[in-house]
Amino acid sequence: MSAKGTSSFIAMRASSVLLLPLAAWFVWSVAKHGLADYETARDWAARPRNAGLGALFIALSAFHMRIGLQEVIEDYVHDGFKGGLAALNWIAAIAVAIAGGFAAWRLAF
Amino acid sequence: MAKPIGAAADRPLSPHLQIWRWTPTMAASILHRATGLALYAGAALLAGWFAALAIGPKVFSPAADFLASPFGLVILFGFAWSLFFHSLNGLRHLYWDSGRGLRPKTALMTSWLVFAASLIGAAALFAPILIGWS
Repeated sequence: MSAKGTSSFIAMRASSVLLLPLAAWFVWSVAKHGLADYETARDWAARPRNAGLGALFIALSAFHMRIGLQEVIEDYVHDGFKGGLAALNWIAAIAVAIAGGFAAWRLAF
Repeated sequence: MAKPIGAAADRPLSPHLQIWRWTPTMAASILHRATGLALYAGAALLAGWFAALAIGPKVFSPAADFLASPFGLVILFGFAWSLFFHSLNGLRHLYWDSGRGLRPKTALMTSWLVFAASLIGAAALFAPILIGWS
């Protein structure tokens, strides 16, 4: 068990407050466009505002979900596997954030 | 952590899931964690969608076709409902963090509210897609 209770608590809530409006924006965008074809989706994502908000939504989600899964790991996983799973959790979260950010950057510029 | 030899077996276990009578508040608590895990996959899916879009139509179109298939739509509906549920129940958690809404009656009412609103939200988001699809 890592002694990071307070900082995790604050990081979880701070990111959740920022994620709520981003989730609302995402849902609104999906409602507006539905299942878009390539051209429509590309036109939408090439606008810097959409690319930026999309990348931010993904990056903050990665930050938030890493802490959440870490809590689940600490609750259910035996000591021998904890370190390895925590490392995989970090790698997966960083990969998601980088993929989203890099794709958004390529799309917008 | 080292365990004293032979000590673990004799201790009584706490009652497990099937012992408890299910309550809406308990279900909401479990579903908050379950939808959180689902959204982990959802975030990866969204990042993959962006990446496919950036790479080009050769990667994007087959992925989009799969997501528009019945199986893909089930995944997307699960993603959408999870996002609605986790966001709304997260709002409930933030309200609790302010020290309010913790009376059993209030917590019960807000759990029903979150179930209903998340289902309505996901259904409303999907209705136009399903009408366009069939």
